[in-house]
Amino acid sequence: MSGGHDNHGGLNLTLHVWRQKNREAEGHFETYSLHGISEHCSFLEMLDQLNEQLLREGREPVAFDHDCREGICGSCSLVINGQAHGPDRETATCQLHMRRFHDGETIYIEPFRAKAFPIVRDLVCDRSAFDRIIARGGFVSVNTGSPQDANAIPIPKENADLAMDAAACIGCGACVAACPNAAAMLFVGAKISHLSLLPQGQPERRRRVLAMVEQMDKEGFGNCGNIYECEAACPKGISVENIARLNKEYLGASLTARPEKESAGGF
Amino acid sequence: MFSRFGAFLRSSIGKKSLMAVTGLLLILFLIAHVVGNLTLYADSDGAKFNAYAAQLEALGPVKLLAELGLVLLFGVHIALGMRAILENREARPSRYKDLAPKGNRTFASMTMSITGLVVLVFLVIHIIDFRMADFSEQGLAALVVERLSSPVGGAIYFVSMAFLGVHLWHAFQSAIQTLGFRHPSYAPAILVIGRVLAVAIAVLFASFPVLLLATGGQWPWN
Repeated sequence: MSGGHDNHGGLNLTLHVWRQKNREAEGHFETYSLHGISEHCSFLEMLDQLNEQLLREGREPVAFDHDCREGICGSCSLVINGQAHGPDRETATCQLHMRRFHDGETIYIEPFRAKAFPIVRDLVCDRSAFDRIIARGGFVSVNTGSPQDANAIPIPKENADLAMDAAACIGCGACVAACPNAAAMLFVGAKISHLSLLPQGQPERRRRVLAMVEQMDKEGFGNCGNIYECEAACPKGISVENIARLNKEYLGASLTARPEKESAGGF
Repeated sequence: MFSRFGAFLRSSIGKKSLMAVTGLLLILFLIAHVVGNLTLYADSDGAKFNAYAAQLEALGPVKLLAELGLVLLFGVHIALGMRAILENREARPSRYKDLAPKGNRTFASMTMSITGLVVLVFLVIHIIDFRMADFSEQGLAALVVERLSSPVGGAIYFVSMAFLGVHLWHAFQSAIQTLGFRHPSYAPAILVIGRVLAVAIAVLFASFPVLLLATGGQWPWN
């Protein structure tokens, strides 16, 4: 049988899938054979078919994260043949199609691996470290009320574009997974850039970067070595320019932030 | 203020910044060192090189201060590098089967810790060879020729400079990025400047042992 578009019988694949019962258990690769996979289905649909096959055989299906399946929620993960989100650029695993693979191919499927992303089960890792970083400052504090006019705050077009590019981050964690040092600088850089480029982000600008970097370090991510694999793995194509901006913001805030005042009583 | 500065130095970005600053200053030192070495080519008996060495010696306390500064620069850069190696190892306790390239890594960027450690070993050899040696009778130039013209000595210096070149290939633009400067108009130029510096420094340093090996220990331009 030959691969490619003439293969009406579908793809026959050998999968080596990481299986791990829970956080504490030792994981290992298990090998499965899949037959007749349509080249038009997505990578996650291929895993759905694997799970149906496993259920039919009375075996435990493979746990993996997914939600929107259209590249916007950041739930899917997977390191496919050593590449976070697989071989394509600017493509999340859910958008990856089986036509990128050939008949008879062997595929290794692993979870994102980092100390800060402990494996929960099989291919599912706990990415709540990112949530804790966001909780330290990845927001703006505003009094609620009726919305003001959309054009009340002038924003330079260039800044709006750069902030929008940074805000495209879906927080999937591929940057950490692809980084040889398991650093989270692209994620934090995107979040810091997104808010520091906009007027609404200014009041908490210095406090935000200091707190978010402190949390990032506390979570046990590695140090950035400027290898830039994160940018290549990012399904949203977030630029490492955002890491430079994070460095600059952090340096600036460290040099200029005033000590936080006690909340009440005295001065 | 000091607690803020302490927090900065303990943070991942603070440590990286210090590494970048010490690295850039060490590149300046390497440029000065290699320009000094070029006096070896200025004549056929090493008199100019010896005179240059004597001038440095004559600086007295200034030279001592400069040496202390270098010890500090190297010490901080090496200590932070070692710490980063350990922390990064710890940041991924369960290894991938094989973390395949996604497209942006280079050989140099992936081997910074290895090339750095080799340059550290070389640094120790180099200090024992020339800083600790007594060359009052023969002169420094003659000692250089003696050390570098043996196959083992020449090979050590040549291979070490290759490792230094690979280390510097990634170093310059990495330091600029760490210090927070990246702009689409300047990034390509910064990359090229760093790589030209890396090749120039490595080739100029390595040229002397290579020429001595080629001529069997003779002043190659006689």
